[in-house]
Amino acid sequence: MSTSNGNDNVVTKSNWKIHWRMTESAGLMIYLADYRGHRVLWAAELPYVTIDHQSQDLDIEDGGNVGHGPFWVPLGHRTQAGPVSCTDFRGGFELSVDFDAGLYQYTQIWRFHEDGRMAPWLTIHGGGLHDAHTYHPHWRFDFDVDGAGHDAVEHFDDGRWTRVSEEGWFPYTGEADDGGFVWRQVDFGSGASVSIRPHHWEDAELFAIQHRTNDAASSPHSAAGAQTFPAAYVGNAPLDGHDVALWYVAHVHYDTAFPFTAGPWIRVSGF
Amino acid sequence: MARAKTTKAKKTAKKKPAAKKKAAPKKAAKKKPAAKKKAAPKKKAAAKKKAAPKKATKKKAAPKKTAKKKAAPKKKAAPKKATKKKAAPKKATKKKAAPKKATKKKAAPKKKTAGKKVVAKKKTAAKKKAAPKKTAKKKAAPRKKAADLRLADASLFAPFTRGERADALRILTEDKRLANMAKVGRYRVISVEPAPVKPPQERSGCRLAAIVVYDYAQARCVDAHVDLDNSEVAHLKLSNVQPMLAREEEAAAISVALADENVKKQLSLGEQPQVAMHYWSTDDTDLSHGRRSAAVVFGQPGAAASLVAVVDLISNSVSEVVSADQW
Repeated sequence: MSTSNGNDNVVTKSNWKIHWRMTESAGLMIYLADYRGHRVLWAAELPYVTIDHQSQDLDIEDGGNVGHGPFWVPLGHRTQAGPVSCTDFRGGFELSVDFDAGLYQYTQIWRFHEDGRMAPWLTIHGGGLHDAHTYHPHWRFDFDVDGAGHDAVEHFDDGRWTRVSEEGWFPYTGEADDGGFVWRQVDFGSGASVSIRPHHWEDAELFAIQHRTNDAASSPHSAAGAQTFPAAYVGNAPLDGHDVALWYVAHVHYDTAFPFTAGPWIRVSGF
Repeated sequence: MARAKTTKAKKTAKKKPAAKKKAAPKKAAKKKPAAKKKAAPKKKAAAKKKAAPKKATKKKAAPKKTAKKKAAPKKKAAPKKATKKKAAPKKATKKKAAPKKATKKKAAPKKKTAGKKVVAKKKTAAKKKAAPKKTAKKKAAPRKKAADLRLADASLFAPFTRGERADALRILTEDKRLANMAKVGRYRVISVEPAPVKPPQERSGCRLAAIVVYDYAQARCVDAHVDLDNSEVAHLKLSNVQPMLAREEEAAAISVALADENVKKQLSLGEQPQVAMHYWSTDDTDLSHGRRSAAVVFGQPGAAASLVAVVDLISNSVSEVVSADQW
């Protein structure tokens, strides 16, 4: 498949119609995705993959210094290591592409199942300066379940689904519904929903923020000493009935079991 | 193989967001059935809209003043309870719709004048859409958005041609607010990417470019949206945000590190720069805490890293050299 400027970046199969393009810094982006003729997604991307190294020897003399700050290199045109491939599998299709950034190699995968499941994944091939390091891939989802501006976000907490009224940070605490889902975006009108199930081993968290024109900065580093994005976006804006952007952040600690595939399961239901 | 759960770094990462974990109050849970109740009348409303969606938009073209005057009593006369009664409202809404037709005539001249400029058209259209929210929000707005979204133009997401990219940068650097930056010329273009806006927002349907520039002269980030259809800067934000490194900055960081005597001394035979990463220190005593910096990783090709040189991109100098295992 070509990545040139043209119309060859549409895939229509397995009940899905999706568009894709390679970005400068947010990996392989999926946009205008429909499932069974209904709009599900305006755009979804992988804006940042940051890496934290922790000091290997924690001496008291260090004065609490726990290593250096994070660093990152954007996944996009400059780190793309091969063409985007589209492959069919039993019950769906997937797009995948490799990235190579010196020590760090990744494979980004988007899987689409005919039963409404979607998997935005990132395989991390390991490496790093030394073993004590953690990867933080950040996905940003702009779901429009049967249209924008008429949705609500819910979080599974205390044994039930509870409505999220304001922007906030919602970590995975180990609690999930029977299907393993922890967060969902529901459309009032159609009753359709998009549910997100985190990977058990990646200490996932979700930031739910009201959609703004510039809510995906070109770097997680907001300003010296300030919180990084997307945490820095979180305020008190209401979410109910508004267009919402969801940031799914995984925290994957390196170990010898690498490569590791991070990322959530997403299920579209109600269409 | 059993996976060790995240160590301290993970915990600190979780502590960072000051944003509260908001367990929705019980009231919120009670709202759920309310949402379902709201959903029922929408289907009826949607059916009406499918029948004559265009007319509905025309009706909204009525001048604000008249709309407000007529809308005001609606608010009081037809609250939620009225919609629950169901049977009568259909006729009632039709009756209410009728006088709007009369307002069409008044609206017509405005359309003609607005047709001169596309920008003006969009702005007024946006205002017109925004105005009736208070009055007809519950009945009309949501379904209309859904319909618009399905018609979103995929070509607006297409990668820019060289000409489009050049055009976007020309428009941006011509903006008077950035005159100093353009004149001094100490800036790096970080990225130029398509950034379409969702309907029914202003400038939806326009070819928009999101441009990120780092201005070295003033150590600031320029975030702009340029409307290529109307050749104007639609949005401009100046901040202290540190955007990702441009390719040229990565190359500059590597050449600065390679030229540094301290780095040269510590490199073994065959060790080369492997990657230049965008870096910021969490220690506020470090130069790289607040200044634009890169971490250049050295090592044998295909082998483990041996050395990291932190390059200050403002002064083009190496501020720190750390052995990889001490990073």
